Amino acid sequence: MAEKNANKEAESVRLGFLSNFTIEPLSSIMKKTCEDVGIFAEVYMAPYGQYAQEIIDNSSKLYGFSPNLIFLLLDGEKLFGDVYSNPYTQKVQTRRKIFADRLNELKELLNILESKTSAKIVINEILLPIYSSFGILENKQKDGARELVNKFNYELRKFFLASNRLFVFDLNSFCMKIGYQQLVDKRVDYLADMKISIPALKELSKEYLEYVIPVASKTKKCIVLDLDNTLWGGIVGEVGIDGIRLGPEREGKPFLDFQKKLAELFNRGIILAINSKNNTEDAMNVIKNHRHMVLKENNFACMKINWQDKVSNMREIAEELNIGLDSMVFIDDDQSNGELIKEFLPEVTVIDLPRDPVDYVTCLEGLKFFSKLVSTKEDFERGKMYIDQRKREQLKLANTDLDSFLAKLKIQLEIGDASKTDVSRISQLTQKTNQFNLTTKRYQEEDIEKFVSSKDFKVKFLRVKDNFGDYGMTGVVIVKKLKDSDEWEIDSFLLSCRILGKKIEYTLMQKILENAKEEKIRKINATFIPTPKNPPAKDFLEAAGFNLIREDNSTKYYCRDV
Amino acid sequence: METLKKIVAKTLAVKEGEIELASSPKNLSSWDSFNSFMIISEIESNFNVKLSSSDIMTIETVKDIVETLRRLNVEEKFLVI
Repeated sequence: MAEKNANKEAESVRLGFLSNFTIEPLSSIMKKTCEDVGIFAEVYMAPYGQYAQEIIDNSSKLYGFSPNLIFLLLDGEKLFGDVYSNPYTQKVQTRRKIFADRLNELKELLNILESKTSAKIVINEILLPIYSSFGILENKQKDGARELVNKFNYELRKFFLASNRLFVFDLNSFCMKIGYQQLVDKRVDYLADMKISIPALKELSKEYLEYVIPVASKTKKCIVLDLDNTLWGGIVGEVGIDGIRLGPEREGKPFLDFQKKLAELFNRGIILAINSKNNTEDAMNVIKNHRHMVLKENNFACMKINWQDKVSNMREIAEELNIGLDSMVFIDDDQSNGELIKEFLPEVTVIDLPRDPVDYVTCLEGLKFFSKLVSTKEDFERGKMYIDQRKREQLKLANTDLDSFLAKLKIQLEIGDASKTDVSRISQLTQKTNQFNLTTKRYQEEDIEKFVSSKDFKVKFLRVKDNFGDYGMTGVVIVKKLKDSDEWEIDSFLLSCRILGKKIEYTLMQKILENAKEEKIRKINATFIPTPKNPPAKDFLEAAGFNLIREDNSTKYYCRDV
Repeated sequence: METLKKIVAKTLAVKEGEIELASSPKNLSSWDSFNSFMIISEIESNFNVKLSSSDIMTIETVKDIVETLRRLNVEEKFLVI
């Protein structure tokens, strides 16, 4: 299935919704919310209240729809009945039993759902009851309603931990954020069995984007920041290093907290860069020497501090970091700069900072572009890896002969057969690699898992190290063995942009050829499917000794003898 | 603040010209019971009013919405259909 969709634009997603109450308006709301961030969503809503039937029935419309992502919304009152809404009319044994029974039934349903689809599955936890007839004594009741719901949610999370396709949505934190009065509208509840109000569904759809964005491969990689009135208060060129507002007290604290949040994102693997109109010395003086600066030189993979226009700076940052403009977020307090970027570089996501710096942190926390469904070791190290890259570039400038430069780097390659533990990183690489990618086929973890355990496929990974640091897993080759023949077909061949320009791709291909020889393979077939982003890989197959056999709809077919 | 006509048209994804006083789920195919609730939600946030459940239940046509909003003191200029 994934193969079929592999070359379609990654921006479209299929969302399935199941629930035990009315959520129909969510269909148009969700589509609109996705559209606002450039994602085209198709939505399937299971018939009212039939979530269990849809899960159990092999031929249900849900499965026919083949969603990428399934949301399950369950209302506590409808799931548990009186033990949820009027718990103390029931004996404690009854309460316990009903909660335990429902938990087991739900786990069973989720097991079935997981086995019948390759979609990611998100379930809302159960909302804690806000009223108790015991009032202030509610939390002293043995297995009272709140305690039982808490336990139920806890068990659900524990059950979901075991799978990287199941996710629990923290509905109670969501309720804390928007408020119960906003979440529930008794009018639509009584009139239409809508347990969540329409304004709340709109907010919920934005939270759900955190799941949709990574499934649609639209996760952002880099935040590009302005300096004056963004990372600190005031204009350093006017007030000097001692005049800017940044520190633990009063008006400096919003900026300090904003930097701390950015540092947290950096630690999660988000690349940070600077695009600022400033005197380099003034700005660098603050970055290096201000005692409350949280973000230091080493947090920024690229710094454009000059009097050039911000659009050119932005282009240069993308080029130097070797990432697409569409994976960048631009944050600036000056709206006119944002407008300029929107106008000339529409691929960049522009965030207009709130007027009041006290709202900066909330604004940053509200961005849903950085979420990942799995976190890999490489994510945590990515920020650092780009800093290493900056140091390498500096060496490159001092040493113009490429081959001797490469020799100085002491590049070490490790090429091996992928095992189960590599699956999530490999899938991530297929999703995110755009430039050096011969076929740009996007694969979910489930697909890679199938390849790894199948005899008809070979999945090879590449790890790279050099003098300056460890790049981690940065290359993948997937080979399909053609049945009853002595030929291989290269299904995917990709290298992360971080290691391009080191001629590593040739060594990797050499290894594949050697491997083919060992297995008595006579011929290798390969394909180049052009995309707007993969020109860096365009001439590779020919340079690696492959012969063009035919061209069809701009897709080029190659082969070479082993 | 937007006009009622605009809100109804936008929510139902039809042209403003298609909205008349007599418009209702019976004669507009894109109007079902769920976007009735969507329309009410949009009206409430736009005009900063709150309809009671009995108001909601009696609303069938655009004319009914106009009358309800009139009762809630929404200015006439927003209610021109």
